Amino acid sequence: MAAAPRDLLVVGAGHAGVEAAAAAVRLGARVAVVTLSLDTVAQMPCNPAMGGIGKGHLMAELDALGGVQPWAADRAGLQFKVLNRSRGPAVWGPRAQCDKQRYTVIMRRLLQRLAGIDIIEGEVSGLLEAAGRVVGVRLADGRRLQARAVLLTTGTFLDGILHTGAERRPGGRFGERPSVGLGADLRARGLELRRFKTGTPPRLHRASIDVERLQPEPGDADPRPFSWRTRSVANRVLCWLAHTPEVVQSIIADNLHRSPLFSGQIQGVGPRYCPSIEDKVVRFPHHRQHTVFLEPEGLDSDSMYVNGLSTSLPADVQEQVVRAIPGFERARFLRYGYAVEYDVVAPLQVAPTLECRSLPGLSLAGQLLGTSGYEEAAALGFVAGVNAVLLGRGEAPFVPERERSYLGVLVDDLCSADHREPYRMLTSRAEHRLLLGVDSARERLMPTGARLGLVPESVFHVEQERWRRRREVRDELATRALNPDAPTRALVRRIAGVEPTAPTTWAGILRRQDVDAETVAAALPVLSGLTAEDRRAVLGELHYDGYLARHQREVERLARLRHLEIPVDLEPAEIPGLSREAADALRRHRPRTVADAERLPGVTPAAVAILIGRLGRPRDARRRPAGSMTEGEPCPES
Amino acid sequence: MVKASSSGWSSGLSGGADTIVARATSSGPAALAVVRLSGPAVRRIAAEISPAADFSEPWRARLVAIDGLGEQAVAIAFSAPRSYTGEDMLELTVHGSPFVVRSLIERCIAAGARPAGPGEFTRRAVANGKLDLVQAEAVRDLVGAETAWQARNAREQLSGRLSQRLAGLRGDLVELLARLEASLDFVDHGVELDRAEEAARLAGCRERLAALLDTAAAGERIRDGVRVVIVGPPNCGKSTLFNTLLGNERAIVAPHPGTTRDVLEAELDIAGLRVTLVDTAGLRDAADPIEEEGVRRARAAAASASVVVELWPADAGPGAPAGDGEITTLRVLSKADLPHPVDAGRLPVSCATGAGIDRLRTALAETVAGGVPDLGGEVAISHRHRCGLERAAAELAACDLAAPELAAESLRCAARELEALIGVVATDDLLDEVFASFCIGK
Repeated sequence: MAAAPRDLLVVGAGHAGVEAAAAAVRLGARVAVVTLSLDTVAQMPCNPAMGGIGKGHLMAELDALGGVQPWAADRAGLQFKVLNRSRGPAVWGPRAQCDKQRYTVIMRRLLQRLAGIDIIEGEVSGLLEAAGRVVGVRLADGRRLQARAVLLTTGTFLDGILHTGAERRPGGRFGERPSVGLGADLRARGLELRRFKTGTPPRLHRASIDVERLQPEPGDADPRPFSWRTRSVANRVLCWLAHTPEVVQSIIADNLHRSPLFSGQIQGVGPRYCPSIEDKVVRFPHHRQHTVFLEPEGLDSDSMYVNGLSTSLPADVQEQVVRAIPGFERARFLRYGYAVEYDVVAPLQVAPTLECRSLPGLSLAGQLLGTSGYEEAAALGFVAGVNAVLLGRGEAPFVPERERSYLGVLVDDLCSADHREPYRMLTSRAEHRLLLGVDSARERLMPTGARLGLVPESVFHVEQERWRRRREVRDELATRALNPDAPTRALVRRIAGVEPTAPTTWAGILRRQDVDAETVAAALPVLSGLTAEDRRAVLGELHYDGYLARHQREVERLARLRHLEIPVDLEPAEIPGLSREAADALRRHRPRTVADAERLPGVTPAAVAILIGRLGRPRDARRRPAGSMTEGEPCPES
Repeated sequence: MVKASSSGWSSGLSGGADTIVARATSSGPAALAVVRLSGPAVRRIAAEISPAADFSEPWRARLVAIDGLGEQAVAIAFSAPRSYTGEDMLELTVHGSPFVVRSLIERCIAAGARPAGPGEFTRRAVANGKLDLVQAEAVRDLVGAETAWQARNAREQLSGRLSQRLAGLRGDLVELLARLEASLDFVDHGVELDRAEEAARLAGCRERLAALLDTAAAGERIRDGVRVVIVGPPNCGKSTLFNTLLGNERAIVAPHPGTTRDVLEAELDIAGLRVTLVDTAGLRDAADPIEEEGVRRARAAAASASVVVELWPADAGPGAPAGDGEITTLRVLSKADLPHPVDAGRLPVSCATGAGIDRLRTALAETVAGGVPDLGGEVAISHRHRCGLERAAAELAACDLAAPELAAESLRCAARELEALIGVVATDDLLDEVFASFCIGK
């Protein structure tokens, strides 16, 4: 068969690479994935868990768009739990312990079964360029692979070095060699690389730990799957909670000079949000103890992950620290913790499509772009994969908006600010956090997933019907007046345990702090008719009522500004009345729309007003100029 | 930040702004006038207008000749960033003739400067981080200060005391916010809120905000002054007392009832505060529509007063009963040189003999100054500060730590209000608002 030209070449088959390849091939593209080894597809080299606060939000959005990570996490999931349940619905973070082995198997099978993906084992050592475009890659064995676009998702492999104490050896992950030629090739093409660092804790043998003395951490009583593709999930394992004793502080303090983090051996910048135990002891000396979670790495595995003990201390110190924890006295090490230093591409060099600004045809995603975590990687992989296909066809790209999704926050943060440490998603990064709860993810993003063709029409229809029903229930609760007559008051007293004084609505009663909304909801026919998930969504919106209106107004204002695109050939210095500072910021960051410009330091409301005046008024700009597709815009047929 | 070069002046300024010139002293003939320049071209302009002068040593006064003007000037050069604006500056003191000043400014403009807008020097000081917005306002207040209280308050504000309070409060709000955010995002890392401690922090922030707001009333008295309104029946000597307190014949005085038909105002300084003294028409059932309008205005003036001086003439028999007491009232028995019954509740005063006038002045001073609460060394806030602080206080009042993600919203909004006050994230609109009331040359 005469080979049709390849649309996309994905380098790396980690979480970003798999997500990108799966999305691209389902959009109808011809895709090849180049990986060092087929055995290591979609590995979970650090914690055996997916999701959490911020990260779980990204997964919910990825699922609504038709991504594959949430589906695979459901299938490999061993224990499901929603974090932050005692807080409001905007910050609930679904998380699952996963079977690492099974996760890799599921993803490898997925890649192998998706028609149109070639899987090639090999090491990419450089890019091929023609007429100013990246048109393929060169492998270390001399082979050359051509494609319309190349996506690099090489994770921590770019000139990776592993550290345990004074011992340092080249490697991308434990037991795997790094990728050495590619980094030099990228540098030679003018890309700025910088050194990051991350780390992982030791793995212990299950039988060597006296879990009877630890506090068991079960999953939720009503485990929820991540994906609309999954009907139900079950909890199959326990985790355990322990605390480091005070003596750990002195053990670490006595050996700090032997930690490559403090001896100067490691130059890379690590994530503040995921500190090593030696970092924690140094930075929080007043914390006498630190929390440690013991998490199984798989159903058929004896390996236990010690969450909270990430370290690059020498092996003997790791043993002292671990064995000081009650219940861990006889702990047997399957693997010691280590730190990995690796090169990343400074993310400011990519556009919001994740295409490299200076090298068209080349996109970047995942840890290579300076993020940390499986979920961030998959989210970026999805955006990069979809855009590589859309751009290749000359169609409008998919650029998620930060006021409508964490995906948008992620992409926008990476492309518009200079990050000096691995980027982890946090709910506090989203200005409109209250609008971005996991329960609203489908309503926000599934229309886009359906338009892209990654969510089946039938599923989308059912979902739309549910959103319509939710709105009806919400309106009913908010508008039907409850008069304070005797029978109504008795009813409210019986169901909600409070006394309505003035005329109110059920929405008003459900919002009260002294009312248990779940109990009331169960007793109200209009709510009890909904599924648990829909009921949660309705109650969530009532919970935030006034705040949501405020955010909604701001989002609508931004949406109007987003319709005002800034032409690429606009010369800010030539706009009369614009301050120098504002003009500098515009020239440096090249924002796509006025909404993006507004967030730049130095671009004041007055500067925005001048810019709007120059570009035309928002209400005259109903029709979006060509160039971008975002939520709410029809996606061109693929 | 630009460092002064070793040769004296710096070579330019980071902003790269143009160079501005303006007269810094009042217009009109005067013994001396100061013309100041600020901006990157100051050094070049100085060399051009005074080629013979040696400006190599900044911050020293020297006598220079202005080329083509036949005028000498005392010149002080300031090297960035050690100047009022943070840019290179030049201050030229010349004879205060309008012609000399105009010619000098034209000379500077011909050499490349442009006329400064109102408050532009101070605006540059803010832009270059020499002052924050609150301090810039203090500069304006100090320049316009007419009374001891106004000057004292403006100086305290300029010293940064209020800015520090606001910045400190904002810092604490941001710290509390960071704790809330950490407890939301890192619950799986064992980060938990210490409810009692966070509640105490929030309460502390609320208290400090309330204390700042408490100075608003004093601020109003200091900045806007006090209205003292003289009221009483017709022909009881209100206008005579008005003229006596002012020390001139401002109001027309006649022995006919109903002579004063309108409201008359005059400014004076009592106890270091600006006092607007108001004379009104006599309160009675008016004889004609014009007087009727005068009476209506008198009642309105009395209602808006900070202090009312209520007159009752000695020859009119027993005095009227005391008012409802909502407005501080000084009750005065006028024409006390005439025989009168003793009224312990009224201060006897005679404008004809001068008897009791000093006692009235003292009583007025005590009453007026008593309206300014003891600030305990704090700075009294302005109307703009009050509006921002009230919005911040409303956010903090709604801040409920039991719902941390909502509490975070409130804290964020409150912190933003404080930032807008100090100018941390000052928008151009805000700067325009603040600098609109500046005079040119400051």
